Amino acid sequence: MSHVDFDSTIVVGKAQLSRRGFLAAGGALVVYACLAPRDAFAQAATSTNSLDPTRSLSWIEIRSDNTIQFRTGKCDFGQSSIYIAYPQIIAEELGVPLEAINSIISGDTDRTPDGGGTFGLLRTNVVNLRKVAAYTREAILELAGRRFGVPRDQLTVTAGVVTGAGKSVTYGELVQGQDLKLVIPVRGNATDFSGLVVEGDPPLKSPSTYEIVGKPFKNPNITAKVKAETLWASDVKLPGMWHGRVIHPPTLGSKLVKAGSLDSKKFQDSRLVVQGNFLGVVAPNEWDVIRAAWEVAASTEWTSWKGLPGHERLFDHLREKVDWAALPVMNGAANKGDVAAAMRGSAKIHAAGYEIPYLKHAPIGPSVALADVRADGTVTVHTNTQNPQFLRKGIAIMLNTSIDKVVIRTYAGSGHYGRSNGGNAGAEDQAVLLSKAVGRPVRLQWMRAEDVQWSTQSSAMFSTVRIGLDPNGRVLAYQSDHFGPPMQDDRLVGALLAGLPTMGVPAPKMPAPHQGELLVRDPWVYHHVPNVAEVGHGTPQIGQHESPLQAGLRDHSMRTPIQFQQNFPREVAMSEAAALAGIDALQFRIDQTSEPRIKDILTRLRDASEWRSRPTPSPEAASSGDGTVRGRGVSVIFRDNGFWACGAHVAVTPSTGAVKVERMTLVVDPGIVVNPLQLKRQVEAGCLMGVSIALHEEVTFDEGAVTASDWISYPILKMAEAPEIRVVLVHRPETGVHGQGSETSNALAASAIASAVFDATGKPMRRLPLRPENVKRALSA
Amino acid sequence: MLTITVNGQKRHVASAPETPLLYVLRNELGIMSPKFGCGLAQCGACSVLLDDAEIRSCVTPVSGVANKEVTTVEGLPARWARRHGRAADQGTLHPVQEAWIEQQVPQCGFCQYGMMIKATELLEQNPKPSDEDIKTAFTTSGPSAHLCRCGSYLAILEGVRHAVSLMAKKDGGA
Repeated sequence: MSHVDFDSTIVVGKAQLSRRGFLAAGGALVVYACLAPRDAFAQAATSTNSLDPTRSLSWIEIRSDNTIQFRTGKCDFGQSSIYIAYPQIIAEELGVPLEAINSIISGDTDRTPDGGGTFGLLRTNVVNLRKVAAYTREAILELAGRRFGVPRDQLTVTAGVVTGAGKSVTYGELVQGQDLKLVIPVRGNATDFSGLVVEGDPPLKSPSTYEIVGKPFKNPNITAKVKAETLWASDVKLPGMWHGRVIHPPTLGSKLVKAGSLDSKKFQDSRLVVQGNFLGVVAPNEWDVIRAAWEVAASTEWTSWKGLPGHERLFDHLREKVDWAALPVMNGAANKGDVAAAMRGSAKIHAAGYEIPYLKHAPIGPSVALADVRADGTVTVHTNTQNPQFLRKGIAIMLNTSIDKVVIRTYAGSGHYGRSNGGNAGAEDQAVLLSKAVGRPVRLQWMRAEDVQWSTQSSAMFSTVRIGLDPNGRVLAYQSDHFGPPMQDDRLVGALLAGLPTMGVPAPKMPAPHQGELLVRDPWVYHHVPNVAEVGHGTPQIGQHESPLQAGLRDHSMRTPIQFQQNFPREVAMSEAAALAGIDALQFRIDQTSEPRIKDILTRLRDASEWRSRPTPSPEAASSGDGTVRGRGVSVIFRDNGFWACGAHVAVTPSTGAVKVERMTLVVDPGIVVNPLQLKRQVEAGCLMGVSIALHEEVTFDEGAVTASDWISYPILKMAEAPEIRVVLVHRPETGVHGQGSETSNALAASAIASAVFDATGKPMRRLPLRPENVKRALSA
Repeated sequence: MLTITVNGQKRHVASAPETPLLYVLRNELGIMSPKFGCGLAQCGACSVLLDDAEIRSCVTPVSGVANKEVTTVEGLPARWARRHGRAADQGTLHPVQEAWIEQQVPQCGFCQYGMMIKATELLEQNPKPSDEDIKTAFTTSGPSAHLCRCGSYLAILEGVRHAVSLMAKKDGGA
C-alpha cells in the first residue's frame, strides 16, 4: 500500500486537508466546517454550536469502501429535497455514483454541522452543499495527483474513479488506511436564521456536464415510509415515558382562575401540572391521560376575554380600527416613476380591494413531541420541526439555560407547510414543561382542536390595487398597498402560557426576521410598466396586545408567506385590468413584461392549457341562473429563482354559487430541474393545496377564540374535488440556478381560479375563499 | 384479558376494553402505522381493515374487534400472500404498496397508511374500479373522506390505477 506522501497540510482553495494518522483498517476523508478567521471573534460565542470537530460533526465523509455520508441541519417534510435532490446534487459535484451516498443525517442539532432553518433548500442552502462537495472533490484530486505524480489538470473524474497518467484509483482507495481531515471555512452561526455559509469559491461543475442532476430518480425515503419502516416523531418511545395532555384556555386571552380537580384514583399515577396559565396532565397510559384531561378541563375555571373582531368583521376591523400609521411603510424594490401623475394621465383606471382570510397550516397529524428533561439540566426534544436550531434557542430562552444544554432530534412528521408555531408546531416546549415538572420523559400529543385553535396561522391581509391604462390598453401605472401583520411569531406557546421568557415578537425596530414592518415580498415581473408603487403596511398581530397572555391571533409563515397574500391581489387585478382594456388576460401579461422567460412560460401555458385568446368575460358569461357557465384565468409568479405560470379552467353554477375547478395547468421554469419526477409530484400536490385554499379555507373566530376546531369547521379539499392537472417543466441548465419546487404552485392556484370565475360570470371575485355563500354574494354585487 | 387478532397473530390486550383500538395498537402492541390524526373519524389517518372493511381505529373500542381480524399496513404483504394461497415471502410487498412506491405517491406520507388501507379495501371489493369509483371510495364511502393536506390525491389516483394493473398481472400469473 502506498500512502500519498505529505507532511503537513494541503491547501485546497480556502480549505485545508490534513492527515491525523494512519489506520490499520478502514480509513476516511472527513469534511468539517470551521469559522473563517474574520469571524473568529464569534468563535467563543459559537463554542456551543457543535462546531468542534472532535464532536464528529462531519459534513461529508468518504469511506474506504467507497460509501459516502452527508449531514444537513435542514429537515425534509416530504418535498424529497434532502433524500433525493441533495444526494443527486452532492453526487454530481463530488463525481461519484448516486448509490455511493448511503447515509444521510438530517436536522438533529447535536449531529449536524450547519444549522439554520429549513427554507430555500434548493435556492440558498444548495450553494453551501455544492461548495462543500466541490472542496471535497478537489481535495480528492490533490491526493490522487500526489499519488500519480501528475498535476491537477491532467486528472479526470468518472463515477468515483480518478484517472491520470494512465493510472486510476477510486476515492475509497485514496483514503484507505488513513484518517484524513478537510476543514472548510464558514461564516455565521448554526443557531442563526440562515445557519452557516461556506466561504470561498471552489470550482463548481458546469451544469451542461450534469449526468445525475436532471434525472427522475425515485426517493428512497418514500420506500421506507410505504413499508411502514419509518420512525415518525409520533412513534418515538423512551423507557419510563409517560403521556401528557394540555388543557388550553377557552380563549386566546383567558387566565387560569382555578385548576380543575384530577381523580388520581380513577386515573392511576396521573399528575396535574400547573405553571402560570399552563395546565397539563401526565399519566402512564395515553387513554387515561386523554380522559383525565377532559375531566380536569370540565372543572377548571378561567377568566373570560374578548379582544378579537370576529372573522365576520375582520376586514372592517383591519380597515377602520387598526392604526396603519404606527409602523413605517415599506416600499417595493421595483418602485419607479410617478404613479400619481401617471394615474391622472390614464384613460381608464381599475381600482379594487382584495381580501385573504387567516389560514391554517392544518397538518393531518396534530403537533406531537417527546421531551426528556434530566436532573442535570439537559433537555432532549424528539420532534419534527422546520427549524431545529431556532427551537433549541427558544427552549434555552424559556428555561433560562445555556443553549448547549438543549438537543433537538428530528424525525419524519406530518407536513406543516411552514411553521405553525415558533419551533414548529406547539407541543415541543409544552412537553419540556411537563417533563421538567414530573422528572421523566413525557410525550405530548396535541388533540385536533388544539392544533386548530392554538397553533399559529397564516395572517389575514387586505390590499388595494389601482392600475392605470393608456387608450391602447397598456399599463401606465401600477399601485398596490398591502396591509397585515408580518407573520413571524417565534414565541413558544407553552412559554407564553407559563409566563416564561420567549424570543421577541415582531415589532418596530426589531432585527430581521422579527421586524414588525410588512415587506413587499412579491417580486415585480411586469417590467414594461413605467410607473410602479408597491407599499407594505404592517401592524402587530391582531389581539396580541389586548390579550393578557400576549397571545391573540398569533401568525407564522405558511407556504409562500406574504408573497401569496400580495401576489393574489396583483394577479387578480391584472386580469380585471385586462378585461377593462378588452385584451386577453394571458396576452395582456405578455405585453407588460420584458422578461423572456415569462413570455416563454405564458406561451407554453397557452398551448398546454388549450387557452383560446379572447377578452374576459366569456361571451357566455352569466351571473345568475341554474345553468353552468365556464371560464378560465391565468396567473404568474417569480419565486425562489423560478418563473411559474398557472391556468385554471372552472365551471360555475350561479344559482348555487358552486365552483368546480375542472383543470389546472402549470408551467414551471425553475432553472435547473434537479429531478423531474419529484418536481412534477410537488407541483401537482402544491397546486391542490392551492385549490383547497381557493375554495374552502378560512379560520373562523369569535371575539375571544378560534371557533374552528376540526375538519368540519376547517374543511380542506377532498379527492373527488381534485381537478385534472397538467404540468409542464422547463429545464434551463444555462441559468446555472437550481430551482425550487414545493410551495410555489400553492400560491398560483387561487388567483387563477378567482380570475376564471370572473371570466365565467362577469363578476370579480376579490375575497377568498370561493365558498358558495361568498361567490353568491359577489355575483349579486 | 381481551384477545384480538392483528395481522394474523393472536395478541393479548391488557388495556381497558373501552380503549380505542388505535392506542392499543400503537402503545401496547407496537404496531405504529395507524396514525393519530383527529380522534374524530374525520380524516382516515388511523384506518385499519376489520375483516374486509376499513374502519377508524381512533373511535373503535378494542372490545369491539375481539372476534374479528385487524389488518394494518404492516400486515398487507401477508394478507396478499394468504389470499393468493402463497406463503408470506419476506420482502414482497402488497401490490398497493408496490404501486405507491412505483408512482411515488406520498409527499409527507402521514396520511398514506390510511390511504393504502382504503385502496386495499376498494380493490378487494372491486378489482377494476373506474376513476369515479376510486374518487368515491376515498371521498364518500367511509365515515369521512380520507384527507391529504399535501395534496397527493392525483398521485393516489395513479397509485390505485397502477395497483390494479399489478394485481391483474399477478393474478394472471398465479
